[in-house]
Amino acid sequence: MQIAGLKYGSRLLELVEFPVAQSLDGDASMEALQQMLDQCGKLVVKPVFTGGVGKKGKAGLIQFVNSLTDAMKAKEELYFSTHNWGSRRVRANGVIFEEFVPSDIEVYFSISNSTRKRKPIFTISPHGGMDVEALAPEQKRVVWIDPFIGIKSFDITNALVDTGCPERYISSLVRHLPKLWDLFDNYGFTTLELNPVRMKKQGNQFVPVACDFRAAFDQDNPSWRRLNLPKTVLQSELTPFESEINRLRTYQGQSDVLEMNPEGSIIPFMFGGGANSAATEMLGDRAIFTSDFGGNPPYEKMLGISRIVYKYWLEKANLLLVIGGKANNTDIFITFKGIFDALRDHMAQTGWKPVYVIVGRGGPNLIRGMFYAKDILDRLKLPYKMFGYDTSMIEVLNYAMKIDRWWTEQGQAQYSAKARVI
Amino acid sequence: MRGLTTKPFPYFIGMHSLEELVTAESRVCVINILGSESRKVTPVSHEYSGGNVVAGVQYGRRGELETAIGNIPVFRSVLDVVKNGITFDIGVIYLPPAAVSQAVWELVTYNKDLKRIVIVTEKVTTRDSRNIRFTCQEAGVDVIGANCLGVANVWDHVRVGGALGGDHPEEALWKGSVAIHSNSGNFTTTIAEYLKTGGFGISTAVSSGKDVYIHFALPEFLYAAQNDTRTKAVALYVEPGGYYEKQAIEWIQTRRFGFSKPMVVCVTGRWKKDIVRACGHAGAMAGGGDDAESKEQWFDEYFGCPVFDPEKPHVTKRGVRIASIQQFPEAMRAVYKKLGEKSDFRGTGDLSLKLWISDNLLTLPPGLSMPVEQALSPYDEQIKEINKQIGAKMMRQNMRNKSGASRLNPDSQVAELHGLSVLALSENTVEENIYITIAKVRPQKTDIKRINFLLNLFLKMDTGSMDDVENAKINGCRPNAVLAARIAMIGDQPLLVKIRACSSWMIDMIREYEHDIVSGEPSPALRREIAAFCFSQNAETVSTDYTGFLLKEVTRSMKKRLPLMFCQMVLVFSDSEKQPVQDIDAFLAASLCVCLFWNPMLEKRISRETVEDAGTYLYIIAQMAMLSVISRRENTFWKQLVQETAFHPGVSFSENLFKILFNRKPSQTDLIELQMLLGLTLTNGPGTISAKGAKETISARNHISMAYTGFLCNTGLAHGGNGFEAVQFLFEQFESVDILPGQSAGEIDLKALANQKAKAYRKYKSEQKETGKLNYKRIPCINHPVFKGNSVNIDPREDFIRKQLQSRNIHNIFLDYYHHLVRELHDEGVTDNVFCVNVDAVLAVITLKLIWQDLKQNKISLIQVQELAFVLFLLGRAIGVTAEIIDHRDRGQDMDCRTPQKDVAFVM
Repeated sequence: MQIAGLKYGSRLLELVEFPVAQSLDGDASMEALQQMLDQCGKLVVKPVFTGGVGKKGKAGLIQFVNSLTDAMKAKEELYFSTHNWGSRRVRANGVIFEEFVPSDIEVYFSISNSTRKRKPIFTISPHGGMDVEALAPEQKRVVWIDPFIGIKSFDITNALVDTGCPERYISSLVRHLPKLWDLFDNYGFTTLELNPVRMKKQGNQFVPVACDFRAAFDQDNPSWRRLNLPKTVLQSELTPFESEINRLRTYQGQSDVLEMNPEGSIIPFMFGGGANSAATEMLGDRAIFTSDFGGNPPYEKMLGISRIVYKYWLEKANLLLVIGGKANNTDIFITFKGIFDALRDHMAQTGWKPVYVIVGRGGPNLIRGMFYAKDILDRLKLPYKMFGYDTSMIEVLNYAMKIDRWWTEQGQAQYSAKARVI
Repeated sequence: MRGLTTKPFPYFIGMHSLEELVTAESRVCVINILGSESRKVTPVSHEYSGGNVVAGVQYGRRGELETAIGNIPVFRSVLDVVKNGITFDIGVIYLPPAAVSQAVWELVTYNKDLKRIVIVTEKVTTRDSRNIRFTCQEAGVDVIGANCLGVANVWDHVRVGGALGGDHPEEALWKGSVAIHSNSGNFTTTIAEYLKTGGFGISTAVSSGKDVYIHFALPEFLYAAQNDTRTKAVALYVEPGGYYEKQAIEWIQTRRFGFSKPMVVCVTGRWKKDIVRACGHAGAMAGGGDDAESKEQWFDEYFGCPVFDPEKPHVTKRGVRIASIQQFPEAMRAVYKKLGEKSDFRGTGDLSLKLWISDNLLTLPPGLSMPVEQALSPYDEQIKEINKQIGAKMMRQNMRNKSGASRLNPDSQVAELHGLSVLALSENTVEENIYITIAKVRPQKTDIKRINFLLNLFLKMDTGSMDDVENAKINGCRPNAVLAARIAMIGDQPLLVKIRACSSWMIDMIREYEHDIVSGEPSPALRREIAAFCFSQNAETVSTDYTGFLLKEVTRSMKKRLPLMFCQMVLVFSDSEKQPVQDIDAFLAASLCVCLFWNPMLEKRISRETVEDAGTYLYIIAQMAMLSVISRRENTFWKQLVQETAFHPGVSFSENLFKILFNRKPSQTDLIELQMLLGLTLTNGPGTISAKGAKETISARNHISMAYTGFLCNTGLAHGGNGFEAVQFLFEQFESVDILPGQSAGEIDLKALANQKAKAYRKYKSEQKETGKLNYKRIPCINHPVFKGNSVNIDPREDFIRKQLQSRNIHNIFLDYYHHLVRELHDEGVTDNVFCVNVDAVLAVITLKLIWQDLKQNKISLIQVQELAFVLFLLGRAIGVTAEIIDHRDRGQDMDCRTPQKDVAFVM
């Protein structure tokens, strides 16, 4: 759950009265734009991506304009621009016009959690505007934060002095930057980054103005809901399948899914974070999604999850895989009952489809669960193989992939021709 | 904050060696001990550890948690525990995430002896995690978790926290020389299992959790492992995210602390670098340089050798990284060999593919095909036992005010039975609905013939006399009372007991000897079973009037279904052995019942017990139909159906039921109207007092017949669904009008009739109000508490039926009149808006239409018509209640319908 840019960032910063560059939405009227140009002289035009898409500047997706004509031209060019971000190719849906703030320095500032220090930290540099990783160690400082106190002014002063920040800016930065802890701590942030903060002259004073914003939220912390961000901002990261499953999410987990390859051939019900990690790695793009349904889900939840899974994927899947290690606490009977009751009901409603079932599992009520599945699969005339925990999970995954290949190439067609359609 | 520090770390660590992490002397207090997870896990931990849980906290209440080695006292708060003089040094937290940090503060605040806290809870926020860390660092308390399964010290036989090793920790956790640190709780146990196959046991196992903050992370784990004399090597399972591993390696390399023991490390999660949102373990999502590949590189460089290759096992004294967790045993063996150490014990096997359960549908190509192997003990025995089990298994729970059979759809306000609305059900024949209430699915074509056969046969198989029914009526008993008394007397009569026993035996035999049955050749073992059950020397082998019908039916068709194939096999064997089958009627009826419900049972829709009881349900419903005759002396059909031996298998139960109730042969339209009547009354949800009557009777553990009696006792004239008042109302309106209710109104001006009534009612209502009589008589079957408030209101159930009737060109003058009436009532100012005609009106108008001619010709009295309306309601509801009875018997518990003391009140 991430957001980037001032479209929503400015709203969040205003909550703690942190100064932020003026901005207008892409659908602003010509008059409003001209008025902003008259006031600011120069504007920055950026494409708007949902989610936490970064490095737009490096990709040449930011344009500086000083006339209405140029602004409209930039809007036309950037409105649906595409951008390679990580492994994803993303498409913009709109632009934002931001005030250009003249400044002779750009400050980098972020708050995050450090696994090295096992504390929250802030990172600051008066040499911002670029990737913080690219800065030399003497150009930036990382300072830990006492979460019960927040950011201490003297820590900022010391860090800025150490990194060569011109003195005339330090006072106003010290006055404004600690406010960001309130935003970070109270609204479920895991990362908050302002880069750059530019120093705007107002009278005889300088005011730090946030000119870009990036944030990531803790999906387990509901505090971000208090920000009243439009649902689409964060939900747009989810596919319809993920979104539907996500509605069943509770604090006990049990319904984590991530769509991997909609063209894949394997429906993987994975149980446990470890199985999720190992199995997803093994299955690669054969897995339609990755999942972690561990944590002893109740029957109703497993049934609900399975119904959604089949609704989206059974038609195109070749193989149904139930995989996990030896469960400590998850009741195998309950989970299998949910998975296979839903399979039976789905086929009763939508028609029979040949799908191979592979199970590799251990844990409480294992045999009851396996036999529950067996009875339903026998009745549905679906082929299956079930392995206990004395078989390596990796061996089961390898075997499942071999079956998947054979089933795709010939098995499914052979069996469909032979089997009596139910 | 200055904070506490423990050399060599820049933070506090409260132990020197892994041996100290949890010990036999540890005293544990579990927070939220009676929560759903802890209630199951804590007793296992407590028993495995020899009783180390000294107290539990369940906020706001006291009590005990039962365990096999003594009960654990439960207190209202941590302060309550401490005030009661109980000391403990480890707190285990099972609370929901929002409450975890509060519990940490409470533990730290009130317990000065506290050394460690284990947080099992998943999805604790990062904010709370960092606050917990600061709090515990200041207080000098170690934290393990959150999102973990705790710690096990296998040498001391101690498990603290979550469910490491599951319900039987001793199965997975064998004493040995390897310490495990795993980001995955499940893999902690799985790795222990895998290592066991290579001959390696465990010293200490730590499930670290995989949140952003890992409080007991790799640096301190390795430091403590180094100082642990029991531990010779370390097994690590690592996922992306965080620099804990890098920091540990750097600190070892910079000699911040010494570490000389080998590690076998599995890093997974390369794929996570491509995702932008966590799945599975929170915090595992990579960002920057802490993805899986980076971590692999850190370890490879530390070990000084590439990833483990089982073909060319190369390791160093520092250990090796493995590509997947199945390589733990092999890699550990290679590492031990390098060190000149021996494994802890003889390996228990290997991790190769061992197929436990397989289909027999397909022949797989070489390389994929493999034989089924005997499962590990005790699973092999379980497989044998469970293989005999069949049918759905429901979780038992308190079923008071609950139902898995019916509900009122919150959107449409229409009742549903097994997911089908009563509107849809009203389009089924009576026998189809009887099948659905038992089987939860629609019957196949052949099933309908079979259920008709059984129901019609059971009509005849009564053993009682009708005289007491007549006497009851003379005494003024209402139909429900008459039926209740007779149905109660059915008890669990011998025929039903025998059908149940035969059904049960058949299911066992089919499960055990399926192959013999399919092949058509009984094995010697199966022959012995048949002989023992069917050919008893003292058997009652008398054929009855019904035996011939039953024999014909079981040999007729459906040979593909196992129960009938088996039944036929028994009959052939009986002939060849010249040994008659004892209790032949029960045996044959059981064969048909099992056959009818075999597929739903295999599909796990219904329980085995339901199939065994199916004969009882069908028998009781048929008996209720038989007893529902209004006037048996005049009803020639009833005599033929019930008393004569002639039997017409081709006639549907619906038709016979109609003849019993209306004393005439039905037309197709009549049958449709009957099925609508009964379909609509099947259920009105589990909250109805009729359903409650049945459920409460089951809750007291009575026979099935008594459950129907309970339902019947809970019905009466208060039930709007019986249309009792509406019948009288309509009769009064049309008594002097010459109509044929099944034909269009023709010259009769229904609007004028309705207007006349509306005016009269306005006058009556006004008079009553003027004299202060607010309890004046309402017009029955109009208006509804839900379907109201619009200018024109419609009850969608009535609307559905009306349209159904229209589409079939079936007229009903009474229903048309009702629609005129609600409009005229509005036009005359009696009602503020146009009331709906509710679904109860449908029941009344259909009943009255079906009996109108007899009523007008004085063949039946108005009282009898009203009685008939009530009986129709009872029959429909009895079919629906069957589903509630089955559901409650499958899911409920003894006495679960009683009202808790806190919900009852004494009134003055």
